[in-house]
Amino acid sequence: MKKIWALLLAAILAFSFAGCGTEKETKQDTEDNTKTESETTEFKVGFDAEYPPYGYMDDDGSYTGFDLELAAAVCDYWGWEIKYVPIDWDSKDNELTSGMIDCIWSGFTINGREDDYTWSDPYVENSQVVVVAEDSGIDDLSGLAGKTVAVQADSAALSLLQDEEGQKELADTFGDLREFGDYNTAFAELMAGTVDAVAMDIGVAKYQLQSRGEGYKMLDEYLNEEQYGIGFRKGDTELRDSVQEAIDSLKKDGTFDQLAEKYDISDLVISE
Amino acid sequence: MNILNIEHISKSFDDLCVLKDISFSVSEGEIVSIIGPSGSGKSTLLRCATMLEYVDKGTISYMGQPMCRMGSDGKPVYVKGREEKEMRSRYGLVFQNFNLFPHFSVLKNIMDAPVKVQKRSTEEVRKQAYELLEKMGLKDKADAYPCQLSGGQQQRVSIARALAMQPKILFFDEPTSALDPELTIEILKVIRQLAAEKMTMVIVTHEMNFAKEVSHKMIFMDKGVIVEETTPEELFRSDNERTKRFLGQYALR
Amino acid sequence: MSFLTMLQVMGNGMIKSIGIFLWTLLLSLPLGLLIAVIRQKKLPVITQIIKIYISLMRGTPLMLQLLVVFFGPFYLFKIRLSDGYRFIAVLIAFVLNYAAYFAEIYRSGIESMPIGQYEAATVLGYSKTQTFLKIILPQVIKRIFPALTNEIITLVKDTSLAFSIAYVEMFTVAKQIAAKETTMLPFVIAGVFYYVFNFLVAFVSERIEKKMDYYR
Repeated sequence: MKKIWALLLAAILAFSFAGCGTEKETKQDTEDNTKTESETTEFKVGFDAEYPPYGYMDDDGSYTGFDLELAAAVCDYWGWEIKYVPIDWDSKDNELTSGMIDCIWSGFTINGREDDYTWSDPYVENSQVVVVAEDSGIDDLSGLAGKTVAVQADSAALSLLQDEEGQKELADTFGDLREFGDYNTAFAELMAGTVDAVAMDIGVAKYQLQSRGEGYKMLDEYLNEEQYGIGFRKGDTELRDSVQEAIDSLKKDGTFDQLAEKYDISDLVISE
Repeated sequence: MNILNIEHISKSFDDLCVLKDISFSVSEGEIVSIIGPSGSGKSTLLRCATMLEYVDKGTISYMGQPMCRMGSDGKPVYVKGREEKEMRSRYGLVFQNFNLFPHFSVLKNIMDAPVKVQKRSTEEVRKQAYELLEKMGLKDKADAYPCQLSGGQQQRVSIARALAMQPKILFFDEPTSALDPELTIEILKVIRQLAAEKMTMVIVTHEMNFAKEVSHKMIFMDKGVIVEETTPEELFRSDNERTKRFLGQYALR
Repeated sequence: MSFLTMLQVMGNGMIKSIGIFLWTLLLSLPLGLLIAVIRQKKLPVITQIIKIYISLMRGTPLMLQLLVVFFGPFYLFKIRLSDGYRFIAVLIAFVLNYAAYFAEIYRSGIESMPIGQYEAATVLGYSKTQTFLKIILPQVIKRIFPALTNEIITLVKDTSLAFSIAYVEMFTVAKQIAAKETTMLPFVIAGVFYYVFNFLVAFVSERIEKKMDYYR
């Protein structure tokens, strides 16, 4: 019995290190290749894995989503090897600056961050919207006056609501603007009645409403119009141009629209 | 030949002078008792003799070989390394609080140092350990742990532990002070038995009657100096004021 | 996602969490002991360094330490690091952090030992190393075991902090599944996983304590 335990523990110890060993090897491969080829043989896509339908965990436990499949198609186009890196959203800038990821590709809003990254062309027409409980009696943005509105920390919706030129004026009419970590928590609070509304991206809102079923509604009045793009390290135009070239080609051959259809966001994507 | 020679040792802690120019010797088979009020330096003297403390001045030697000698700068120089180890095996010390190793069985308490420190054969040491336990009346306690024993039993184990190292001289630092009167008797009986076997011993004690009965020589210490060093008979008849006053306290009780 | 897949995917994450746990214990327990022993030597400069180290490790959040260890080499020295460094960085931060706590626990144990144990060993001729390893350490371990167990159980729960540098362990997987499935079920499973794991830790620790129970 003791031996079995010892073996089991040893196996876990070895396993956890073996995992990082192989990663090291692939890294060495890429380092060897960098001398001969371009730096992006391995294309490291940083994304928030809690952001369906753009990036999330699939039924079989692997990562998928509109953004990730599009990224994979770009890699196919160039013959790159794709690496999905699910990041802690709060650390996205550190991850990008330090080179641990090559881009942030995760339903990433351009507006308000124009100067912080080197951006691809916008590929999704996004809006920030407000979701409320169906029986809340709130029908438009003015109905939010005096109410508690939840918004994800460090999100585009939050910066919009804090921006003088954005919707700060509206936010000032709220009873309270409360930040939360993930949508599950926000919807749990909405259900419990501790918050009255949740502001989020339209794509996310659609996914949430669809998978949660009855009981919620999205206000017809949007907070804004904005675009998603792929964020690259500031100044990394070479990589941006390559990725852009691939996306343009995928738009031409229809792959882009097929993916949009698959993830039910055809009305949001920018095909032209 | 003297087993122990102590010459002109002094010891201070910070500014407090605990031992002042102490000299005495112990010959083979001799039993010396050291008495005196608390704070007189008796325990420090034993601790200096057993290298638990290092003296500031003076020399100590066992069987003619120096444990510490005077260096050219007047500071004492102690033996080191293998010599030190060898020196330590010449004496044993029995503590007031026994200081048995609680995580070792009685047998292991006795056997571990002879085997691990002196590198003697396990078989030989085991045989000796059982003999010692028998002598201490603890033969059935070999596998017990110290916490399962009475204070008197623990002290007897600690005496056996010291004897297992085959020392030439055994020091006792108030061996009965932590014990009830009835348990004290057990220990005194063991020491008497050792005396009968001609074991060389130095005993710091408050048991005056016992000291008088068992010792060949008694030393009365006060305030860091040896006031008197003589036979028990002489000491108890002493004219010295300090001696008389100290012994008087015991006579009153 | 079926419940079974959920369990399986989270089980894989659990192996990563256990990996962090075991490696951290394996490295920080001896390191903490070494630090405590060196501190016992009372060398002024080294003692000061150790004090600063312990105060930093205890005075700042583990999450911050993870970020510093992971991103520090780049921001300070412009060293580009590979993805394999994530796990290494997790281990460095966890080991340094836990070694500091363990060092203090060891110290409390070592300092609680009666001086008589050292003196008895010295008089019997044990070397300093023998005294520490044979006489002092076994008793210290018995004394500090409840405190160690506490810290070890905290470690199990702390493994979830590894995601701050994108090391995807069990709790992160749970959050990702929860986001995808829009359900709280993965958190319930995560709670059960942690509880069972800690139950095992407590069980093993109790067994060991019992084994040391033969003396006081």
